[in-house]
Amino acid sequence: MGGAVPNPSSVLPAVIALNRLAFGPRPADLDAGIGDTGRPDWLARWLDRQLSPPDPSADERDDPEVGRRLADAKLRIRYPAGDGWSAVDEDRPLACLGQPIEVLWPLAANRPAVAGPERQRPRLEVAAATLIRAVHSRWQLREVLVDFWHNHFNVNAAGEPAVAAALPVYDRAVIRRHALGNFRAFLEAVATSSAMQVYLNNRSSRAGAANENYARELFELHTLGRDAYLNALYNRWREVPGALRGAPDGYIDQDVYEAARAFTGWTLEDGAGLGGDARLPVTGRFTYVEGWHDGYQKRVLGREFDPFQSPMADGHRVLDLVADHPATARNLCTALCRRLVADDPPAGLVALAARVWTDNRSKPDQIARVVRAIALSPDFSRIRDAKVKRPLELVASFARGAGIDLVPTNPLLGELDGSGQRLFGWPAPTGHPDRMEAWLGAAAMRRRWSLLLGLAENRWETGAIDLAAHFPAALPAAAAVDRWQGILQGGGPEPTTTAAILAGMGLAADAMLTPGTKAGDDRLRRVAAFVAMAPRFNQR
Amino acid sequence: MTISRRTVMRGGLAAGLGLAGGGLTGLPGIRSLAFAADKAVASSAEAPAGTLVVVFLRGGADMLALVAPADDPDYRAARTPELRVAAEGSRAGIRLEQTLAPALDFRLHPDAAPLAELYAARRLAIVHAVGLTDGTRSHFVAQDLMERGIAREEDLARTGSGWVARWLGDGGLGEGGHDVAGRVPAIGTAAAPAAALAGMGGALAVPDLRGGLAPPGGPQAAAVLAALSRQGDGAYERAARAALDGLSMVDGRLPREAGGKVAAYDAEGGAVYEETEAGRALQTVARVLKMDIGLRVACVDVGGWDTHENQQGRFATAVGQLSRAIAAFHADTRRYERDLTMVVMSEFGRRLRGNRSQGTDHGHGGAMLVLGGRVAGGRLLGQWPGLASHQLDRGVDLAVTTDYRTVLSELIGAPASRSFPGFQGKPLGVLSA
Repeated sequence: MGGAVPNPSSVLPAVIALNRLAFGPRPADLDAGIGDTGRPDWLARWLDRQLSPPDPSADERDDPEVGRRLADAKLRIRYPAGDGWSAVDEDRPLACLGQPIEVLWPLAANRPAVAGPERQRPRLEVAAATLIRAVHSRWQLREVLVDFWHNHFNVNAAGEPAVAAALPVYDRAVIRRHALGNFRAFLEAVATSSAMQVYLNNRSSRAGAANENYARELFELHTLGRDAYLNALYNRWREVPGALRGAPDGYIDQDVYEAARAFTGWTLEDGAGLGGDARLPVTGRFTYVEGWHDGYQKRVLGREFDPFQSPMADGHRVLDLVADHPATARNLCTALCRRLVADDPPAGLVALAARVWTDNRSKPDQIARVVRAIALSPDFSRIRDAKVKRPLELVASFARGAGIDLVPTNPLLGELDGSGQRLFGWPAPTGHPDRMEAWLGAAAMRRRWSLLLGLAENRWETGAIDLAAHFPAALPAAAAVDRWQGILQGGGPEPTTTAAILAGMGLAADAMLTPGTKAGDDRLRRVAAFVAMAPRFNQR
Repeated sequence: MTISRRTVMRGGLAAGLGLAGGGLTGLPGIRSLAFAADKAVASSAEAPAGTLVVVFLRGGADMLALVAPADDPDYRAARTPELRVAAEGSRAGIRLEQTLAPALDFRLHPDAAPLAELYAARRLAIVHAVGLTDGTRSHFVAQDLMERGIAREEDLARTGSGWVARWLGDGGLGEGGHDVAGRVPAIGTAAAPAAALAGMGGALAVPDLRGGLAPPGGPQAAAVLAALSRQGDGAYERAARAALDGLSMVDGRLPREAGGKVAAYDAEGGAVYEETEAGRALQTVARVLKMDIGLRVACVDVGGWDTHENQQGRFATAVGQLSRAIAAFHADTRRYERDLTMVVMSEFGRRLRGNRSQGTDHGHGGAMLVLGGRVAGGRLLGQWPGLASHQLDRGVDLAVTTDYRTVLSELIGAPASRSFPGFQGKPLGVLSA
């Protein structure tokens, strides 16, 4: 865990909460008295609102500001003429976002050929929308969880074009729809999603020698977790503790092999041959092909599956078994606590969350209830400085804090890609790492600082800081540094931070900074970036 | 900020180069050897072991499609022609002279021709049927075990540091991990710090040098960052200090054009690095190596090996890119060859039998490639277990007859117990005596 903040009392509990449950506080949140010690129930009431957003698929209606920003946003697309296409160089709206899979699926096809930037376009658009929502959404907690689930059920849209083509639907109809919902329903939405079917290859799995990729990660990453992998027992299922009474402690390779068989026939309409002249349609939609299913008897997690069940029943039963397993509750609650509280969350907190998870496993708002329990636990407010912001959180929280009216641009997305947090582009099915050490490498630190300086100086035309709003009149440099600390994170300024910034900038404490002049504005913008480079702003 | 340290930081590498005689200093482009006699400042107590480049193929590379007994009937029976190295035809594999299993026709994948040349030139040795003794088929468990240098999953929870970190230790490394002589003993070329280097303050994660590494915002920002990072001793502050120190040390040695832009890299030996993950990463390693800042270890990740589906084309592309990158690196670093070793490894091999997606699923035994001037190359090493059902691990996968730690311990030349607790293995003889 990180070291102590020099002056912990200066960090408001509400700021910590909003750094974990939102993409950081906005000055208005702090001004509105959120976290006021006179209203100790503010967090519970904030959670009440945040955890019951309207229909998540209707973002534009329940959050008109975000709807307008999504409608207004444009990203550049540019490529020379090629084999079968003419040159393009234009600012284009985020036209992929609302499209159904069959409209985007041609981007994945080999013929007719499609220019590379068109194939990557859906990923860039979803990344741009993610930035807009992270900064501007009213439903901040949902956005935090959407980020969590995108990583938990990671797909790599920067690799195979078919994953990129499927990403807008995956984001909209799978991740966003279920982020606060029921895990079993979520799991099935993921299993039948075009994005996951492509990414973990289940679409090409066939009876005979099934493709094990999806089944392996279903157990290891999506549900029970690697701590429940009892590989030494390999195929000796009877020796798995609890297996003989139908409650095995964990899973073995044989479970992976059998589950892979259960999911054969779950595939996509991707034009694959069905024998003879018959082919699947080419829409990219999920479908089930009985002829590809391995219908014979199976045994998964100690349960016998009779041969020749009804269509998709084998796969559904596997999803039931893994969703209900106690190891899944532990694994998912550990991951949620790691995201929301600390890299190494206390066992007691995980156990508390797992109880809520299990007690509510058939509720439609199971996940929301677990998140609420974590956020209202004593550990949540007790633990400090146990997380370092990832680049997306750094960018969004800086924009929110500094009052940048952030508009995503291609260069900003490029910088974010280079920061190590390439959104929807992590190659391994683990998703971006959540532990802080992964984000503290030398080159990553440099990128982190570049992001802050580039935003403060509007280097990528993402929107200027409204200095006049924060600084109506000339003021001494020390006061300006202090004020930026208050704006960005509330509470009192840290004298060590003020001294470090003044010394590094070669400014006397009483040197006057005059807004509206070039020299004054340049310095005030840089001070904002430097305050955000201090340790305190980088923790959550 | 560290240029003035140049004269005292040569020890580790220069001594490792074995060039103290100085007989080569007249060669063009070898300015650094002026420092080669400066052995006295080597701060490490034990004999320097040159530089080790660890290339990790992420995803479980199908070594049975890279180095294979092409005529083995069990091999031919288990795999469709698309998943096999062929013994004949236009895409026949490249025959390897070997004594591992003289009755079998071991061949390299046809797109690994650059590796075949290095093998024929006796620079490259291949250890087959090597891997973890643990039976895990999980990428992430297997990678964790290997990067932490342990054999058993029970030990994962109590082994936080990487095997390289334990090998090199932090002895002599100062604040931020860079010792008084201003060395950068270890780099990783992934954005996130390499797990094998975990626990080693002096390790730098530097994916790419082409844009330079100076902190953004010029000297003013550097001064502010230096002051801010002295505030405390939290993880962020420590990382900031290490980054500021290490990045400027590397950045200060990057040749620049008149306008301040980092000059394009001028590889030696006619080497051409492609714009691939392996090409970019090995070029970065070569550049840092040639800065003579005491580089002992470079960890390089190359992805794209998890070939559950349509393996033939993907694997051929990956093998071609990797082979050409290794050949470029070899040509570019010939003058360091005497004490430069590269090992190529993966977390496990893949299933002997293919699946119906024209791919292969997770398996067990794999192979390790070892390249360098000290390598007794042109040999297949280890013990070939055979591919008949009763010879396979769990009846399905290539068995592991050589622990991966056997190979790594021989290469590091240090007491194995430090990097690999509890491991005692006899060297295979990968290196020439």
